[in-house]
Amino acid sequence: MSGMLAGYAGLLALVLVNAVLAYSQYLVLRAGVFSLATAGIASLGAYAAAILAVRWQVPGALALIAAGGVGLIAGVVLSLPLARLRGVFQAIATLAFVQIVLSLALYAEPLTGGAMGFNAIPRLVDLPGVAATFAIVLFVVIAVSRSRIGRAFDTIRQDETVAVSLGIAVVEWHRLAFALSGLIAGLGGGLMACRNYSLVPEDFGFPLLMAVLTQVVLGGRIAVAGPLVGAAVLTLLPEVARPLADYRMAVNGALLVLVAVCWPHGIVDTVAFHLRDRALRVREAVRP
Amino acid sequence: MVLQQTINGLITGSTYALFALGFTLVFGVLRILNLAHGAVFMAGAFVGLYAVTWAGLPLPLAFGVAVLVGGLIGVVVDWVAFRPLRRQNAAEFIAIVSSLGVAQMLMSVAQGVSNTLILRYPFGTFPVVFFEVFGLRISLLQITIVALVALLVTSLLAFLYATPFGRQIRAVAVSARTASLLGVRPDVVYAQTFFLSGALAAATGVIIGIAFNSVHFLMGEPFLLKAFVVVVLGGLGSVSGAVVAALLLGLVQSLTVAYLSSALSDAIIYSLLFAALLVRPGGLFGTSSAEMRVVRQ
Repeated sequence: MSGMLAGYAGLLALVLVNAVLAYSQYLVLRAGVFSLATAGIASLGAYAAAILAVRWQVPGALALIAAGGVGLIAGVVLSLPLARLRGVFQAIATLAFVQIVLSLALYAEPLTGGAMGFNAIPRLVDLPGVAATFAIVLFVVIAVSRSRIGRAFDTIRQDETVAVSLGIAVVEWHRLAFALSGLIAGLGGGLMACRNYSLVPEDFGFPLLMAVLTQVVLGGRIAVAGPLVGAAVLTLLPEVARPLADYRMAVNGALLVLVAVCWPHGIVDTVAFHLRDRALRVREAVRP
Repeated sequence: MVLQQTINGLITGSTYALFALGFTLVFGVLRILNLAHGAVFMAGAFVGLYAVTWAGLPLPLAFGVAVLVGGLIGVVVDWVAFRPLRRQNAAEFIAIVSSLGVAQMLMSVAQGVSNTLILRYPFGTFPVVFFEVFGLRISLLQITIVALVALLVTSLLAFLYATPFGRQIRAVAVSARTASLLGVRPDVVYAQTFFLSGALAAATGVIIGIAFNSVHFLMGEPFLLKAFVVVVLGGLGSVSGAVVAALLLGLVQSLTVAYLSSALSDAIIYSLLFAALLVRPGGLFGTSSAEMRVVRQ
């Protein structure tokens, strides 16, 4: 019984770690920033946490905070040039950033272990630690989306011209989105480092970037619950559908196309929209 | 030595040009990033390889088959990933997501077919002949590649700028609405564009498969990333810019690999892309109107 619970604990922790990364991607998308930098920043955070934990025996919580700090700095530095760029070009530039981080991680072998990987990292964070980090991230995201910041983000995403005419400084808000997303990505990377025992540069390449993006698109890009739902579905799907494990990539790809074509707003946002629509209609009908 | 590396770099660059042309063509006409372009390239390489090993076709015929099938795959990618979105007038972001999905499906098929192995052409598929010119070693393969790329690029340019079909494509690139008012059917033009783009990708796939004698399901990804560099450096949607930028990229890559290190070479190339977006966002030959599309003022 306890063994089964332990198995589920691992799975739950995996869902939460993925959800943290998804929230990093969610924040930028919500602000209409087309950044795909989450994977690269997570890699910086992960290596920072791993190096601190192994070389200086720093406790898990401190390593996580450091990872978040590194992520925040990376986000701010990245935002300086990139907040000015428009949509697709932000995507291209951040893709380049992910590649730069990847190749530097391969090159800086004394620091990162290069292609052999950074091994023998102690498991510093257990499920309660992961849950606590996730709760903090969720709190930040909810606070952001309920405040003025969230409203500014929504306006910019929906129509940049309108946002500018309302006196919203798009570039400044985009910088903020980059910084917050960087902080969360760093935390997510730190969590990966503290749980995975070893890090390889390829862990943070194109596949991770796509996985994170898929989670947010599938779950929903507007409602706060979206990324969590997306992360849960995509992490649990291979567990539920074991016979499909060999076709995981094909299933993921088909899911992406289907969602993009049929449900472009993702699960949570589509459902929320229908519920609101129905509530409105009921109200209309009740009114004499 | 430097001269040898320069020549190697230009040859690599010419294959980048061929690949990036299809990518920039789709971007120029439809204003979308087709992230499945790398997967179509990979599929072309697979078709070429199986046409030689399984069907036993001679290499030129296999090349033709791969180009044709690649073009058709390009059209199918458009049908599956982009056409439904065009109807809904969806945001550019969603198009990127669905093209990533198609790329994953193609890669999964290739992984299944090849059992995740690296496939090779049988020995002697292409004759191994070397020439010594002024102390430089140049293989027959390299000469063929350059000639083939030059032929394909000039025929693409001729198609775009000297035929009525090309005129229609350029009209739709300027404005699909205006073009359709003038009697051009945008859907036909989109299909043509994707066919050309897929055919070019598949041609590059076969060339690269033979040049490195290795074909595997992940080969598209690094090429796609290189294509980003080329498209940004050359200016979005610009055909001639892409050719020059691709040659430049090949040169930088071969020189940095030879004199620094291969891991650092990638970092340098992508930093170049980064710098280009900061300093000359419209591309090396871009105009200020191109810049407007890239950067907020």
